Amino acid sequence: MMKMRVKMRHLINRIHGLVIAVLATGLMVTTAAAQSPPDKAFGVFLSSQCVTCHMLSGKSVGSIPPIIGWPEAQFLTVMDSYKKKERTNALMQVVADRLNDEETAALAAYFGSLKPQK
Amino acid sequence: MTNRRDFLIGGGALSTGLLFSPAILAQAKPRVVVIGGGAGGATAAKYIAKDSEGKIAVTLVEENVNYQTCFHSNLYLGGFREYNSILHDYAGIQKHGVEVVRARATVIDSDRKEVVLKDGRRLKYDRVVVSPGIDLKYDSVPGWSQAAEEMMPHGWKPGAQTRLLRRRLDAVPNGGNIVMIAPPNPFRCPPGPYERVSMMAHSLKKAGKTRSKIFIIDPKEAFSKQGLFQEAWEKHYKGMVEWLGPKVHDGLKSVDPKTGTVVTGFETYKNAALVNVIPAQMAGAIARDSKLTNASGYCPIKPESMQSTVDANVYVLGDAAIAGDMPKSAFSANSQAKVAAMMIRGELTGSRTFAARYTNTCWSLLETDDTVKVGGTFEAKDGKITSVTPFVSKTGETAQLRKETQAENMGWYAGIIADMFS
Repeated sequence: MMKMRVKMRHLINRIHGLVIAVLATGLMVTTAAAQSPPDKAFGVFLSSQCVTCHMLSGKSVGSIPPIIGWPEAQFLTVMDSYKKKERTNALMQVVADRLNDEETAALAAYFGSLKPQK
Repeated sequence: MTNRRDFLIGGGALSTGLLFSPAILAQAKPRVVVIGGGAGGATAAKYIAKDSEGKIAVTLVEENVNYQTCFHSNLYLGGFREYNSILHDYAGIQKHGVEVVRARATVIDSDRKEVVLKDGRRLKYDRVVVSPGIDLKYDSVPGWSQAAEEMMPHGWKPGAQTRLLRRRLDAVPNGGNIVMIAPPNPFRCPPGPYERVSMMAHSLKKAGKTRSKIFIIDPKEAFSKQGLFQEAWEKHYKGMVEWLGPKVHDGLKSVDPKTGTVVTGFETYKNAALVNVIPAQMAGAIARDSKLTNASGYCPIKPESMQSTVDANVYVLGDAAIAGDMPKSAFSANSQAKVAAMMIRGELTGSRTFAARYTNTCWSLLETDDTVKVGGTFEAKDGKITSVTPFVSKTGETAQLRKETQAENMGWYAGIIADMFS
């Protein structure tokens, strides 16, 4: 039981945006935090559709820029510019358009956490 | 997506052990066999192995040592790429723990949950990913056959045919004509035949063979990026390309590979220097032989997962699948592979899953530094994979934008190759 609880705790700790209390009975009571930090695991999944073009290594070929290791605010600003059509790339405009704020934040958190390979 | 509430329900189930699959309870590593090492299969194998962090044993079955990309093979044809630059190996995938078995998979034994290889070996699986690409319908063009593919090459499956087509193109004399037999829908790479025509015209023009002409005999009333291609042919290759729809040619009647003759309802083209037959297509043999296809010749799938509607232990990716609004492209296959990989991990290890979303873009090179694109995002909706936010290049774009789009095309190629193979 103890071992199971440790495993659960390990798993739970990896999930951002949740406040979790484990009661003595072993039941869990959960509430979403009012100000949820970005869901990095969700960002990892969403990012899989980006890395077909934007290399995870941080390398860049042609006109496709690297997007890893950016400050989150920069990522959010750039995506917002595409959403508002201030930036012109048609592909990126529809990609940005498809993402809501939570999703864009999840991507910003994930890509921001990566460091370019040397 | 799996929202927080769903996850927490999952978390509650976890504490009671309900979420553990039988495979986990038995403490045996679940096994995934991936058939086909192209844009769908290679991506799926890599992502399942990488993201499961060793919890799933992944085997990729591929009969070729190298993968030659169909994408950008038109650029090889036009002299924009070296052949070696579109060849890739599987060493990078193995670094993620994927076992690569060099063999041809012939059929799936769904009762025993085993993939049967041509040499008789059997590979056990908990889930199998089927990504065999297309097979050609050799009987779809009267007078043409597999035996005639040397004389009238298709160049629509990678390898020797790609190089043969290039040699034949280079050998066309000035004034010699090329006839392309375009395929009916649905087929691999919808803009592909027309990008190919652009690359053929570029090659002829560059070699000074401007008296030559390319005729496209098309069974379709319209084709992908039609306005963009026709604008480019008029601008760059005036008088060298003639597209004929079914109302103009009245149907393809027959071809004669020995004499280079193409007969349509209204015209006979004799002594063509090159006839490029791109026939009708269907899902690769293993999908058909394993009864995963329907009457269309392709495999129905669940749009939220890429899971076969015929067999819940099977996922079908790429050209072999009926993917709704998504075209049969490498980008699509790569995108679908990531959804399937996530769902398979969820089923076998209890990892989190999210609502499927897909992306595609197809770039087409028209002439040096003149490239257009079509694409968009997709999701499971109304029982199929549905286009959500489409886009397409416009006619009349500036030369600068077209040049940037070509730079993007080259960047995408490097990106998808890194994503698949490293």
